[in-house]
Amino acid sequence: MADAGEITVLLRDWRAGDPAAIEHLFELVYPQLRVIAGALFRGERPENLLQPTSVVNELFLKLIRQRSLRFEDREHFYSLSARLMRRVLVDHARSEGRQKRDGGIPVPLHPDLAWVDARPAEMMDLDRVLEELEQLDERKCRMVELRFFLGFTAEETAELLNTSKATVDRELRFVRGWLYDRLHEE
Amino acid sequence: MTQDSENWVLLQELFHLAEVTPDADRERVLAEKCPDEKLRRRALKIFTASSLEEPLKPQPQDSAVGTRIGPYTLISHLGTGGIGAVYLVQRMAGGALQRSALKVLAPHSAGPGFVERFHREQHILASLDHPNITRMLDAGLSDRGQPYLVMEYVDGQHLDTYCNTHKLGIPERLQLFLRVCDAVAYAHRSLIVHLDLKPPNILVTADGTVKLLDFGTSKLIQADSRLTTTVMATPAYASPEQLRNEAVTTSCDIYALGAILFELLAGTRPGNKSSVAAMIERAIKELEPERLTAAVTAEAAEQRGVSESRLRQMLRGDLATIVQKCLRPRAKDRYPSIDPLAQDIQRYLKGRPVLARPQTTLYRVGKFVRRNRGAVATAVIVVVALLATVAYAGWRQEQAVREGQRALRMQNFMYRLFKLANSNYTGKSSATVPEFLELGVKMLPQYIKNPSDLREAQMGLAESMYENGDLDSAQKVLTETIVSSRAANDIPAEAESEAFAGNIAYLKGQVEAGATLTAHALELSRKSGVPPSVRAWSAGFYAWNRENNGYRSDENVRLLQYAAKECRDNNLSDRETADVFYLLGQDLELRGRLDEAEQVFNQTLDVYRKDPAALCDQSEVYGDLAYTKEMRGDVQGALPIYQRAYDGYKQCTGPDSSGALTEQEFQAGALMKLGRAKEALPMMETAIPIWRKLDGGSPDFAEPLYFLSKAYVQTGHFEEAEKGAKEMMAVQEGKVASTDRRFGATHMIWAEALAGQHKYAEALPHAQMAEKLLTNSISPGAKLMSAEAHQVLVDVQAKVQSF
Repeated sequence: MADAGEITVLLRDWRAGDPAAIEHLFELVYPQLRVIAGALFRGERPENLLQPTSVVNELFLKLIRQRSLRFEDREHFYSLSARLMRRVLVDHARSEGRQKRDGGIPVPLHPDLAWVDARPAEMMDLDRVLEELEQLDERKCRMVELRFFLGFTAEETAELLNTSKATVDRELRFVRGWLYDRLHEE
Repeated sequence: MTQDSENWVLLQELFHLAEVTPDADRERVLAEKCPDEKLRRRALKIFTASSLEEPLKPQPQDSAVGTRIGPYTLISHLGTGGIGAVYLVQRMAGGALQRSALKVLAPHSAGPGFVERFHREQHILASLDHPNITRMLDAGLSDRGQPYLVMEYVDGQHLDTYCNTHKLGIPERLQLFLRVCDAVAYAHRSLIVHLDLKPPNILVTADGTVKLLDFGTSKLIQADSRLTTTVMATPAYASPEQLRNEAVTTSCDIYALGAILFELLAGTRPGNKSSVAAMIERAIKELEPERLTAAVTAEAAEQRGVSESRLRQMLRGDLATIVQKCLRPRAKDRYPSIDPLAQDIQRYLKGRPVLARPQTTLYRVGKFVRRNRGAVATAVIVVVALLATVAYAGWRQEQAVREGQRALRMQNFMYRLFKLANSNYTGKSSATVPEFLELGVKMLPQYIKNPSDLREAQMGLAESMYENGDLDSAQKVLTETIVSSRAANDIPAEAESEAFAGNIAYLKGQVEAGATLTAHALELSRKSGVPPSVRAWSAGFYAWNRENNGYRSDENVRLLQYAAKECRDNNLSDRETADVFYLLGQDLELRGRLDEAEQVFNQTLDVYRKDPAALCDQSEVYGDLAYTKEMRGDVQGALPIYQRAYDGYKQCTGPDSSGALTEQEFQAGALMKLGRAKEALPMMETAIPIWRKLDGGSPDFAEPLYFLSKAYVQTGHFEEAEKGAKEMMAVQEGKVASTDRRFGATHMIWAEALAGQHKYAEALPHAQMAEKLLTNSISPGAKLMSAEAHQVLVDVQAKVQSF
C-alpha cells in the first residue's frame, strides 16, 4: 500500500488546487483496493454475499489505518473514498462482463447504497451517465458519490459539503430524475 | 446533452418549480417562467422520472426452497443475515421428520478448512449446553461446495419485535435482557465469544423463553485473511475495536449487549442516524456514544406504555450510566465482564443504587496505607484484563491477521489456566486470585511465544498482583520483565516495568532500590516511542516517592504536574487521569499548597463523578477535599464533605470498611476541633471494636486509637486516654522506627492523659518526646500537630515548675 506520508502530501496538494494530485492518489491507493474488492466479490453474485457494509468497512480500514491522515482533511478524504468506491464497483462490473439487459433499466440508486442490487450492466451504465453529470455539475456528482456510493446519510452529506440537508435532498431529487432520464434516453 | 449544459441552471429551476406546483397548474406555471417549450418538456420529463419507483426484484433465495442441501430439504426462507441466508429445513432421522434451521454461508465468510474446523470445535460447541443458547447440530458442504451450518430451529420473534408487540415496560425488558446476559456470560466462561450479538440473533418464543442464535459461529468462521472480523459484525452493534479491525475480546460482546440494551430501552440503536462510514469515523476517534435519553422517540414511549417525558425520566441516571458503561469506546473502560453489568441491572430493578466497581484502582499509593483491599478482583476480571493487554499489544502492531492468531493463543492459554486452576493443580476446588495469578505467570511462556507479547502479558499479571496487594510476587515478575525488555531493547516495556518495580520497592521500604528504579524509568520514559501512560506513571511514581521519602523538591511537584498534563493532553483513560491527578493533589496538600490542592481534588472528582464504578475512589477524594478545607481552617465547611465521603464508602464498601471508618475518624477529629468532643467520643467508641477486628495487630491501628484517646482527653476521661496511649505504644513498638513521627502522636496523647490526672512529672518526658518527634515537617496537618505538641510541653513544664 502507498506510503502514508505520500498520501497526506497528495491530499494537501489536491486541497490546494492541484488537479494532478487526485490522479496520483488514485494510482497510489487503487491497486490495493482492487485486491480487496476481488476478495469480496470472488465467485458469487454480489447480491448473495456482499453486504453493503463490507466493502465500505474494508475500504476505510485500509485507507485510514495506513496513513496518518488527520480528520481536518475529512471532506477530501471522504470525497476520495467515495470516488474510489465507485471505481472499484465499476471495474468489478466491467470484469463481470456486460450482461444482456432484461427489460427496463432501473436507476440503481438505493437509499442505502447505490450498488446493493445493481447488476454489472446497470453499474456501467450508471457510471457513464455519472461521468456526464460530472462534466455538467461536479458538485452534484460528488453528492451522489457520497450519498449513494459511500452510504452517507443526507445530513452527513450536507455537513461535509457545507450545506443543508434540505438542499442535498432537493438536489438529489433532481439528479435522480435526470439520471433516470439519461439512462432511458438511449 | 448540449442542451442540458447550456440550460443547466434554468433546467433545475424549472424542475423545482414543478415540484412545488399542483398537477393542474404545472404546465401553465412553467410556461410563465420559461418560453422555451423544449426545455419545459425536458424539465417535466425529469420531474416525472424523479418520482418513479424502482421495480422490486424477486428474492433470489426463494428459488432455493424445495431443493436440498446435503441431507436437508429446504422448506422456507427464514431470513438473510450478515454471513448468509437461513432456511427452515427438514430431514428424516430415525424414522421421524426433524426440523432445524440451516444457514448457508457465503464462501468468503467460511474460509478454507471450514468443515475440519467444525469437527475440531465440535466438542467445545457441544459443551455450550444452556437453556437460552440454541445448539449447533451439524455442518457441511453442499454439492455446490457451499458451506452450511445446521442449528436447532426456534420458532420465535426477534427480541426487539417481541418487546414491542407485547408492549413490554422497562422492567420486563430488563428481565429479558438479564436472560440474555446470563447466556452470554455462560458462553464467556467457556471462552466462547459471540461477536455478532444483535436483536435478530436473539429470539423469544411464545412462552417467553429467550434463545440466542449463532453462538459458536465466530469460532467457525475464518474470513479470508484480507477481510477480517469486521465483515462479520453488524456495524450498529459492533464495538469500536471491531470496526477498527482490532483484536476481539469478550468486551466486544459487552459493547454489543450495551447497544442492544440501548435499543430495548430507547427504541433506536445507538448511532441510528449515522452511516456506517460515520460509525467507523467515530470508532477511530474513540468518541463517546450518543446519550440514551436523546434517542427516545414518541413511538418508543408508546411501545413501552409510558409518556415520552416519563420514559426519558426513567432512562436518566442509573440506566443511562449502565448503558454508557457498556458502550465506552475503549474496552478497558467498559464493564470488565458481564456479571457486574447484570448485577447493576438487578440492583436497579430492586431500587438499589448502582454500585459496580469493576476493578480496584490500579497504582493507588494512598496517603493512608490502610486502604481498602476488600474488593478483590475475581478470576474473570483477571482474564479480561489479560485479554485487553493482548488486544493492546496487538493494536500496537497493527496487524490484523496476527491479532487473530494472538487472540486465539491467548484464549487457549486462559482456557488451560482455568482448567488447571480448577483442578487438582492447586489442591483446592477453586484457586484464589493470588494463586490464579501465580499460575498464570508460570504458564504464560508455554502459550505466548512472541517475546514482546509475553512481556505485555507478564506486566499485566504483575500489575494485577500489585493491585491485589501481593507485592512480592509482582516484584518477582517485574524483575524478569526488566531483564527481558532490557535484553530486547524494548524501552517502553522496560520503563513500565521499572516504574512499577520501583514503586513496589518503595512500598516495601527498599528506598534505595526504589529510587534507582524509578529514576531510570523516568529517564527511559523520555525517549521516543514510549506511550503517554508510561510517561505519566514513570514521572508520577518517581516524584511521588521522592516527595515522601525525604527528597522533597519543587522539581517533584513539576513532574507530578507534568504527569497530570500528559494524562489530560493524551486523553488517557478517565481512571488513569484521575489517579495521577489524585497523586498531585495529595502532594500539594502535603506541601500546604491548599488552594491548588483543592482545585486538583475538584478536577479529580469531576472525572470520578462520571464513573459510577468509581464511588470508592470518589469518596476517598472527598475525604481529601474535606481535609484540605479543615487545614485551611474551614472546619465547619469540612464536616459535610467528610460526611459525604463516609456515606460514599458506606455504600461502596459497607459501614464497617476501613474506608468508611477512616472518614468517620476524621469527622470525629473535626468535631473535636469545633469543641464538640461529646459527639466525637461515641463515634470513636463504636468504631474502635470494628477497627480492632479489621486491623488490630497493625501499627496503623494507632491512628483510630489516637482519635479515641483524644476524645477521652477532651471529655475529661484521662484514665481511659492513658489506656489508649499505652495501646498505641503497644501496636507501634517494634514495627515503627523509634524516630517515626507516629510515636510523637502517641507521646503527646500520653502526656495529656497524665497531665489530666495531675501526674505532671510523669507527663514531662512524654511531652518532650512528642515535641522532639513532631517537629520538622512541612505538611499543614503535621505543623498543627507540632504546634499542639509544643503547647502541651509548655503547659506541662509550667505545671512541673509550679509544684
